[in-house]
Amino acid sequence: MTVIIEVKDLVKVYNGSIRAVDGITFDVAEGEVFGFLGPNGAGKTTTIAVLTTLLQKTSGACKVCGIDVSKHPTEVRRSIGLVPQEMTVDDDLTGRENMMLQATLYGVDVKVAKERIDELLALVKLEEAADRMVKTYSGGMRKRLELSEGLIHRPRVLFLDEPTLGLDIQTRTTMWEHIRELRKNSNMTVFMTTHYLEEADSLCDRIGIIDKGKIMALDTPSKLKESLGGDVISLKISGEMDFTESIKSVDGVLSVKKEDGSYRVKVLNGETVTAPLLHEISKKGGSVTYVSLERPNMDQVFLEYTGRSLRDAEQSGSFDRMAAARQMRRSGS
Amino acid sequence: MIRETTALMVRELKHWYRAKVQIFMLLIQPIVWLGLFGQALPLKLPPAALNGAPDYMSYMSVGMLAVTALFTCMFAGMSVVWDRRFGFLNKLRAAPIPRGSIPVSRILAAMIRAVISALMVLLIALIFTHIPGLAGLTVTSNFDILSALGMLLILVLLATAFAAIFVAIALTIKTQETLFAVINLLNLPLMFASAALFPINSMPDWLQAVAKVNPLTLAVDGMRQLLFSGSVGIYPLWVDILGLLAFSVVLVIIGIVVAMRALKEK
Repeated sequence: MTVIIEVKDLVKVYNGSIRAVDGITFDVAEGEVFGFLGPNGAGKTTTIAVLTTLLQKTSGACKVCGIDVSKHPTEVRRSIGLVPQEMTVDDDLTGRENMMLQATLYGVDVKVAKERIDELLALVKLEEAADRMVKTYSGGMRKRLELSEGLIHRPRVLFLDEPTLGLDIQTRTTMWEHIRELRKNSNMTVFMTTHYLEEADSLCDRIGIIDKGKIMALDTPSKLKESLGGDVISLKISGEMDFTESIKSVDGVLSVKKEDGSYRVKVLNGETVTAPLLHEISKKGGSVTYVSLERPNMDQVFLEYTGRSLRDAEQSGSFDRMAAARQMRRSGS
Repeated sequence: MIRETTALMVRELKHWYRAKVQIFMLLIQPIVWLGLFGQALPLKLPPAALNGAPDYMSYMSVGMLAVTALFTCMFAGMSVVWDRRFGFLNKLRAAPIPRGSIPVSRILAAMIRAVISALMVLLIALIFTHIPGLAGLTVTSNFDILSALGMLLILVLLATAFAAIFVAIALTIKTQETLFAVINLLNLPLMFASAALFPINSMPDWLQAVAKVNPLTLAVDGMRQLLFSGSVGIYPLWVDILGLLAFSVVLVIIGIVVAMRALKEK
């Protein structure tokens, strides 16, 4: 395992008082999709800004691709791609022109760039809109263009800051598919931030839960959920026969509890265990009349580690902190 | 450096020529000035008081060229502020390009826009002379290729100087409102404390002193000497040109230094 992002005791203080990032330490392995999950104002974007050389850290050490971020920013910039939170594609250029500009800024040879642009526009399904002005694009199309821009120079690490913020659910799902596709076809590392629980859950190999500038938990989504005790499958089986033993024999089942005619089955991963479980029961001659799957969701995980739900966290004071921090980041840059 | 700078400059220019309304508005202004203001204010002054210009409209037309260049450069700052607002500036800051290419590309683009706009105004002024009922620019010198190059050089130097100041101001200023305020604060004094619109002889001494070191004065003074025969400049032509060169070199250096500081990560 090659470590590609190394962060040690990173602290970022704005204006001498707002500790946006308060001593975080983590590593990201090459090829991993690593996510920071947290409410607005938790310090996610600030971390990205430091790692992408847009902001000077207050203290600590950060290395990306083995290069010190503060000492050799230009080298770091060459090997990373950034898809920022804001929509930064240029409205008054066409999609293709936007891509070409990005390619030039990252020193991609014109001939290579032309090929890659076609390839990337096809990847994000923008071939047809490629020669239209971006101002005619929808929000989702812009975001996809933005994503493909970040890939033009084949970065080793791609930073996605809230890749689906403000997108409708359908578009969000398309973005996820694109990110998954990338993950499948290359060894690129993805560092992303999100405050959507299901996004972190479905995309990331590992998640850092971040709140008030501190990492509260860091592990794979399934381990995080497991730490809460796994999924629960509730079953009703008609007839008097006891299926407890057959249920226990299925891989991934942790425990079974029978209450009257219904079973509460604790499993590691409900999605993958449900089908074999049902199969096993019908093989033994049982007839299932009711199934439901309850999962400890990321919101419960978040609650467990931060002591409040993500929604509450968004509404409480950290929102103001975020506004202040963002204001400062803007004016500082 | 050159490739990125050119790409960024071309982006700016594409924005400009695609925003047709913007170009239209830019040209409307001098047309209104030449068409209305000149008619409403028929200053009857002898050529001697007008730097050798045959009439006041010819005199003022030259001033309009320079003022157009000034205004175009001022509004070049707006796009810088927009780019910050929309995160494009941060995207550039995250790219592996020499930071200097950011201000340099802006300055170049603003300069090219300003020169093209000024030349369009020149064309309008030349056409106006031949339209009955309107007045415009009447050239009385033996205008040859050398004079044309001289005009172009003066416009380029003037526009570069102004572009550098306004790009630097815009990179330092964070909001559109503040930029507007600064532009408004600068544009009228710059325009009126110069020989662009009125001969400076009739100005009070203190204003004359200011006008004499205003780059606009140097530019119009030089251009009038190229356009009108028998024009006696405030300065000799070579002083005008060298003065503008000095202005643009100094302002570009200051502009880039200020811009680099503004772009540095905090």
